[in-house]
Amino acid sequence: MPYYLSGSIIFFIGGIISIFLNEKSKAVVFLIFSLISQIFILPESLQVLSSGVQIESFLLFNEPIGTVHFRLDPLSAVFTIIISLGSLLAAVYSIGYMKMYHGKNASLNSYYFFLGLMSASMLLVVTVQNAILFLIVWELMSIASFFLVIFENKKEEVLKAGIYYLTAMQICAAFLIAAFSWASAESGSTDFSSFKDVLIHSNNTGILLFILFFIGFGTKAGFVPMHTWLPKAHPAAPTGVSALMSGVMIKTGIYGILRILLLTGMPDKNLAYAVLILSIITGMLGVMNAIAQHDLKKLLAYHSIENIGIIGIGIGLAMLGMVYNNQTISALGILGALLHTINHFTFKSVLFYGAGVIYYGTHTREIDRLGGIGKYLPKTSVMFLIASLAITGLPVFNGFISEFAIYLGITKSFFVKDLSLNIAALLGISGLAFIGAMAFLCFTKVYGISFLGSPRSEFHPLPDEKESSMLIPMAVLTAAIICIGIFPLFIIVPLGNVVNQFLGGGFYPAQPEIFDVFIPISVSLTIFVAAILFFYTLRSLFLKKKEVKMFKTWDCGYQGQTEAAIRMQYTSSSFAQPFLTLVAELVPRKFKLKKIQLFFPKEASLESHAQDLSESYFIQPSIRWLNKFLNLFSWIQSGRMQQYIIYGLIFLVFLLIWILGVE
Amino acid sequence: MLKVFIYILIILSPFLFTGLINKVKAIWAGRKGAPVLQPYYDFFKLLKKGEVISRTTSFVFRIAPSINAASVFLALFIIPIPFLGSVIKFPGDFILFVYILGSAKFLTVCAALDTGSSFEGMGASREVTFSSIVEPAFFIILGSLALITGQLSFESIFAAINTSTGYTILIKLLFVVSLFIMLLTEGSRVPVDDPNTHLELTMIHEVMILDYSGPDLAFILYSSGLKMVLFSMLIANLLIPPSINLIVALGLFLGIISLIFISVAIVESLIARSRMSHVPQFIFLMTALSITAFAVIIFFLYGGF
Repeated sequence: MPYYLSGSIIFFIGGIISIFLNEKSKAVVFLIFSLISQIFILPESLQVLSSGVQIESFLLFNEPIGTVHFRLDPLSAVFTIIISLGSLLAAVYSIGYMKMYHGKNASLNSYYFFLGLMSASMLLVVTVQNAILFLIVWELMSIASFFLVIFENKKEEVLKAGIYYLTAMQICAAFLIAAFSWASAESGSTDFSSFKDVLIHSNNTGILLFILFFIGFGTKAGFVPMHTWLPKAHPAAPTGVSALMSGVMIKTGIYGILRILLLTGMPDKNLAYAVLILSIITGMLGVMNAIAQHDLKKLLAYHSIENIGIIGIGIGLAMLGMVYNNQTISALGILGALLHTINHFTFKSVLFYGAGVIYYGTHTREIDRLGGIGKYLPKTSVMFLIASLAITGLPVFNGFISEFAIYLGITKSFFVKDLSLNIAALLGISGLAFIGAMAFLCFTKVYGISFLGSPRSEFHPLPDEKESSMLIPMAVLTAAIICIGIFPLFIIVPLGNVVNQFLGGGFYPAQPEIFDVFIPISVSLTIFVAAILFFYTLRSLFLKKKEVKMFKTWDCGYQGQTEAAIRMQYTSSSFAQPFLTLVAELVPRKFKLKKIQLFFPKEASLESHAQDLSESYFIQPSIRWLNKFLNLFSWIQSGRMQQYIIYGLIFLVFLLIWILGVE
Repeated sequence: MLKVFIYILIILSPFLFTGLINKVKAIWAGRKGAPVLQPYYDFFKLLKKGEVISRTTSFVFRIAPSINAASVFLALFIIPIPFLGSVIKFPGDFILFVYILGSAKFLTVCAALDTGSSFEGMGASREVTFSSIVEPAFFIILGSLALITGQLSFESIFAAINTSTGYTILIKLLFVVSLFIMLLTEGSRVPVDDPNTHLELTMIHEVMILDYSGPDLAFILYSSGLKMVLFSMLIANLLIPPSINLIVALGLFLGIISLIFISVAIVESLIARSRMSHVPQFIFLMTALSITAFAVIIFFLYGGF
């Protein structure tokens, strides 16, 4: 058995052992087990990724499963690294964060058990090569995360969100079961490698199978319109889990799509366009909805959808590159998608962890109740700012690198003389720019309103950063954000092996072109950092020996109470309002207004709720139709005992006839 | 050597152009106006002063001006000088150009929110809304330029587009107009924003920097001046005709830049600032023009639809 499988089992064992320990030592013991499994997983995965040589092994199961192949190839290795690091960081983070629940009769037993199970099953999902076992570990992953989502199951909305999540995951699994069983029936085997001939897009079966797989995996990843579970499930889960789900788990959907694409080879032209367009829509709707949110974690969940859209644009681009037989475009598309997968893991985890630090100190996720929180949480503030810049795709951080790769791929497709490709490229480039600009708006809002300005509410006790276990994971990831941002080649070169897998053969033709781009970027970004330091030193020199007075903010000479000035600050809703009126059709909002009345008004209030288009126009109607359809059969289960006895009788008669008939 | 000289000239020039705008506006209004070099005097005076910093602010407020200055400098070296080329060039450098200016804007907006002033929040909100419309349009222009020239860096794009003839004249015209709209938006000029307004409620960029003083304010004034020069350099690069010698080209380059600033002043003298709710429509004009340009390119490349 290869080491990485042992690593997966160690995660699971850690979860089981922690059940038998007391509240305080649970977390530490689970952390020790997570650390041990890193030793098993990371060296092997890194080696596979850097050398491109895959590790293969098999286990013998009873029929109907048979021989099961496990394979750690470069594509899987990217994901095992993210999964094992993500799980480790979640384990570290939980030490501090879960103290909130100590002595409160919360089911910490189940927390660590399912955390271990989730990590273990995710590791198996990305390595197993057999359809049946894949579906089993896939379901294990969904169920483990479901139990983590409903950790605070005494709150009604958490339970509701959990059940919504479970339903969505079952729909996703239904599509996958259909797809896998069809593929197995066609190929006569449940091994992934045998699907190659079935998935080829030259026949209709292959195309339909790809669509089924895409819907299944896309639901997990959060593609529009099947994304609606994300903004419900992520805020409900404890923060360590939200970060793990958003940063790591939804990427298994991306893994699935890439794995199927790898087996497919040359994709269908129309499908490639469809994936690109759907991804652009996903990115745009995701971030538009995020702008309308004022629940910090819900907002971050919508941003995961946006980033899945960006990854999807990369995948779509790679598919188009394959269709038009342009290796550079494909290479940049795959590279962009993989880089963004890794990068999104780093910055989204930091953002979620930061949101958790705020929640730990203030017990609120409402952005409009915060403000000036950066003064109590200075380290979190800096790291949150860096992650915000990274998610917006701004230099010198890693988000820029992955978005750059995708941008470059899109602009390169302007060189292929094909009308539809050029128009798709225009949609892609302007869509990506629009997504970026909206993310810009959203994160200036999140960071500016919650961390900066004056505090909008009073907190007792004041939030602080005493829990270093919550800061360490953020610091590690922030370091990664900066390193990848300034020296991207260190990660691009090993990822070349994955690109190789997709483009076939030991030749990596786009490499010199990619080096031509990323070395100057590295240099210019280093200059940029140096220039910032230079100007800051210059500023300090100018201010030396001069008076720097601290005074109140300029408010046009208004000498009123500061209380009023604080309440007059721009809120997240007012900040986003001008933009949301521009896109009012795409993000409809409902207002509840209690107007100021008479001369001595008692109270006045304004509530606004953003609606998700796909929730109100796709999910809810389909649920209604499904209910209507299923109601047609409700007479079968009427609840009357007599009817059930008749069923039994009919069954027995049938059995009798059958036996007689056989004899 | 000549290239270094030109770059130094441009680095020194922003306040000259700001002064030029003010002078032209004054003459247009029948006043004598402040000397063209007045912004330089203000700049050096500000550098010599101390600062008043709001108690509400944090580290973001203090680093934002330095990042602003660093980013416009880096962006400047990506834009080429006709016939001499640029300093930083690689395929896709225009993406770095947009994003490096973006990171400066991010910090400026955050610094505005850092003061906790409702006016500055208002300005910040407007700034991000308008730039969310400008950005996609600018990328449509860049994409179209890549499509028409088959090049991916500013230097080679401009070199290629200036040697091609025929329908590119039409494309250039459309791009010049939409880049001019972008210049007005990014430089916060009329009709998007009025730098001379004295009412905080009506401002965008000017209100975001209300709390800055001393060297920090000097940095910001310089950066926004240079940023306008950057966009006018883009326009000027588009308009350099082929087959002329180096000296004429350089003269023309600087001439066109000055002309652009004079037209900014004329626009400012002729029309009033738009209502805030009408500004997006004005910026959408840029999107419309760039999509038209793209359609024209497609039309000529593929010979009809």
